[in-house]
Amino acid sequence: MAVPVTAPANRVRPVSARHFVRLKLRVMGNNFRGQGWRVALFLVGSLIGLWFAVGAFFGLAAPGLVGDDRYALLVAAFAGGLTVLGWLLLPLVFFGVDETLDPARFALLPLSRRTLVTGLFAAALVSVPTVAVLLGLSGLVVTAGVFGGWSAALVSAVGVVCGLLLCVAGARAVTSAFASMLRSRRVRDLAAVLLAVLAASLGPLQLAGVAAIQDTDWGRLTGVATVIGWTPFGAPWTAGIDVAQGRAWAAPVKLLITVVTIVALLAWWSRSLESAMVGAASAGPTRARPGVTGGVVAQLFPRATGWLRRDRFGALVAREARYWWRDARRRANLITIAVVGLFVPVMVNFGGQGFTFDSDQGFSAAGESSPVLVSLSMLFVGLLAAVTLANQFGFDGSAYAANVVAGVPGRLELRARITAFSLYVLPMLAVVAVVIALVLGEPTWIGFMAGALVATYGAGLAVNSFVSVLGAYSLPETSNPFAMNSGAGVVKGMLTLLAMVATSALAAPMVLAAALLGDAWLWLGLPLGVAYGVGAALLGAYLAGDVLDRRQPELLALVTPRR
Amino acid sequence: MTGEHPALALRGLAKSFDGKVAVAGVDLDVPAGSFYGLLGPNGAGKTTTLSMAVGLLRPDAGGAWVLGHDVWADPVTAKQLLGVLPDGVRLFDRLSGAELLAYHGLLRGMDPAVVDQRAAELLDVLALADAGRTLVVDYSAGMKKKIGLACALLHGPRLLVLDEPFEAVDPVSAALIRDILKRYVAGGGTVVFSSHVMEVVQRLCSHVAILAEGTIKRVGTLEQVRGDRSLEDVFVEVVGGRTATGEELAWLSR
Ligand SMILES: Nc1ncnc2c1ncn2[C@@H]1O[C@H](COP(=O)(O)OP(=O)(O)OP(=O)(O)O)[C@@H](O)[C@H]1O
Ligand SMILES: [Mg+2]
Repeated sequence: MAVPVTAPANRVRPVSARHFVRLKLRVMGNNFRGQGWRVALFLVGSLIGLWFAVGAFFGLAAPGLVGDDRYALLVAAFAGGLTVLGWLLLPLVFFGVDETLDPARFALLPLSRRTLVTGLFAAALVSVPTVAVLLGLSGLVVTAGVFGGWSAALVSAVGVVCGLLLCVAGARAVTSAFASMLRSRRVRDLAAVLLAVLAASLGPLQLAGVAAIQDTDWGRLTGVATVIGWTPFGAPWTAGIDVAQGRAWAAPVKLLITVVTIVALLAWWSRSLESAMVGAASAGPTRARPGVTGGVVAQLFPRATGWLRRDRFGALVAREARYWWRDARRRANLITIAVVGLFVPVMVNFGGQGFTFDSDQGFSAAGESSPVLVSLSMLFVGLLAAVTLANQFGFDGSAYAANVVAGVPGRLELRARITAFSLYVLPMLAVVAVVIALVLGEPTWIGFMAGALVATYGAGLAVNSFVSVLGAYSLPETSNPFAMNSGAGVVKGMLTLLAMVATSALAAPMVLAAALLGDAWLWLGLPLGVAYGVGAALLGAYLAGDVLDRRQPELLALVTPRR
Repeated sequence: MTGEHPALALRGLAKSFDGKVAVAGVDLDVPAGSFYGLLGPNGAGKTTTLSMAVGLLRPDAGGAWVLGHDVWADPVTAKQLLGVLPDGVRLFDRLSGAELLAYHGLLRGMDPAVVDQRAAELLDVLALADAGRTLVVDYSAGMKKKIGLACALLHGPRLLVLDEPFEAVDPVSAALIRDILKRYVAGGGTVVFSSHVMEVVQRLCSHVAILAEGTIKRVGTLEQVRGDRSLEDVFVEVVGGRTATGEELAWLSR
């Protein structure tokens, strides 16, 4: 007779972190199978990582190699602190986290949360960036070893490893927490504000950094470094130096600080992981706007697109406009543009003023914020806004099939996508120009600043139209807007870099004009910039649309996630 | 005009993925006005074949013609005549059902007033009007199939290509979909669909093709293929599957 199947408890073999690591390696390997270009990109990315790691290694080992122990603490605290900060913030703002192992896939398995978290954590450690950081920051071990012998080197090595664990745990905890916040309707906007505040805090930090470089008073800087050394940001990295400089008692305390922080971060991660696992079915559902009357066509068009004709172009724009708001992944990108777009120019231009302010020896000429410097910062903002479209078809995933089946002409498709995105971005760029000009106290600059922004943005749209058609890649179908497939990080980085270089080349005339034309540019900048930007964008859509027409099925295959 | 052309003609369609053959040369003529069932076991290549037939997947070799128009050489004309319900493909699911229909209608170049009227009728008939402003991503699997079908029907295509339209659909909705499709064929349209439900195929189809391992094993009118046996028996014979498990899996019934 059939009896209920029960798990034979005595024969269940325990699952350990090792299994997760092997699973991740296997998934990564399978992703590479039969895709030579992915392997190539991965190798290139690894080489770049290695290059930076070696550079960092010698930089951090320099105090030891030179034999000057004044700077040892300073270098450890600042370099280490910046590393931690970067690991916390960069995934949110730029790069995302590698989610080769999507936590949601483990939801049905009988695993305790502790097993799951340690397993995913161990798997997260297997990546190019972690290896690069480990290698780079090992420079600290050399320094500690030179000044304090084997014991200091050993403590320093333990510290570096702990610091790396801290970085990874922090990145996971923070992105996971933000992902679940962006998913929830209630606190979604709060998350945006928090992100803005985080990015804003980069400003003062940068000012402090500039001031520090100026400051010849090493004593005071060492004081700051000492303080940083007692926070989780600096604790793991400075423990070895402390031993070397005769403060052996500090090392265990600092390591304890680190371990406690790691445990706390993992606990935090484990909490938001739970919500990621149960809420995995839908990525940030938003209700459609209530209270619209009229037919289905009227419902499709958001209020801001009411002026559009009710035709193919209109439908494409309306759908894209809705998607930029409703898709958590796209919205996260918009938030990034808004935040970075405001703060980077402030930092660049005020960093410059900081130079004049603090220095009394020759920096003053380069210090005053100039039209060229402002144009350069505007160039960056325009670049950043446009590069968001570098994988615009990847956002759609296999849903793009609807457009292929309908036979949407490539040029129409690209023009509509550019239009919809610009509905959001152009107002933001206008705000950036006005705010920065006012903050700088140069209201007459608004014109050419806006011109530079629109010109760069338009040129960027042209470049990214091509990139999005030729270099699309699929995004994982998970609920985490920061998630990326393994290998996609490298692809994304390379494509972004390529697009940015090409865009800068195209936008360079705006900076040149700002440098050469002087006062005339104050008036010519806006009309010429806008004409240049709009012309470039239209030309780009025209040319890339032709390519798209010939590549629609291939593009669909590229953006369809392999499940 | 297009009268003498088959609604869908496939010639030598072939596709392999990473050296693994998925479809190995499929020839098929779907007569205009027929109700064509495509059968085959899992992994036979049905989805791959239909994707190549409608222009979603570029074939390694061969071609597809819709009412005489080459899908790959003259996609614009061919695609206008086509309505497609792909399988394993997402919809633009962050739109509500109504918004999705409006999008598809306008994308097909339809008049907005006609879109409004037809979409309202379709939502009503398919019992999706109640879902109101719920986004499609939050629909159930069956509801997603139904809204996908509505999108394929909206512009009144001459040929409907449906990949597993009855999957995950409840019996009442299935009956409804059968009625809609029958009326569509009676009105001069042509339907090609893949399915695993023999009973539905038997009840609806005028023609059947059985696909296995990437090639057509049996093809013809329902009567020709079936003979005097049940379609299921023919299918099992063609596919050559096992029908019962012996001693394996004994641990399931402990
Ligand atoms: N994108 C792809 N990459 C690699 N192999 C694929 C891909 N798509 C399909 N295949 C392979 O092609 C074969 C045919 O798949 P297809 O989806 O056409 O089968 P099907 O008849 O639709 O099956 P089902 O009844 O399960 O839907 C399978 O062996 C599958 O593994
Ligand atoms: Mg299939």
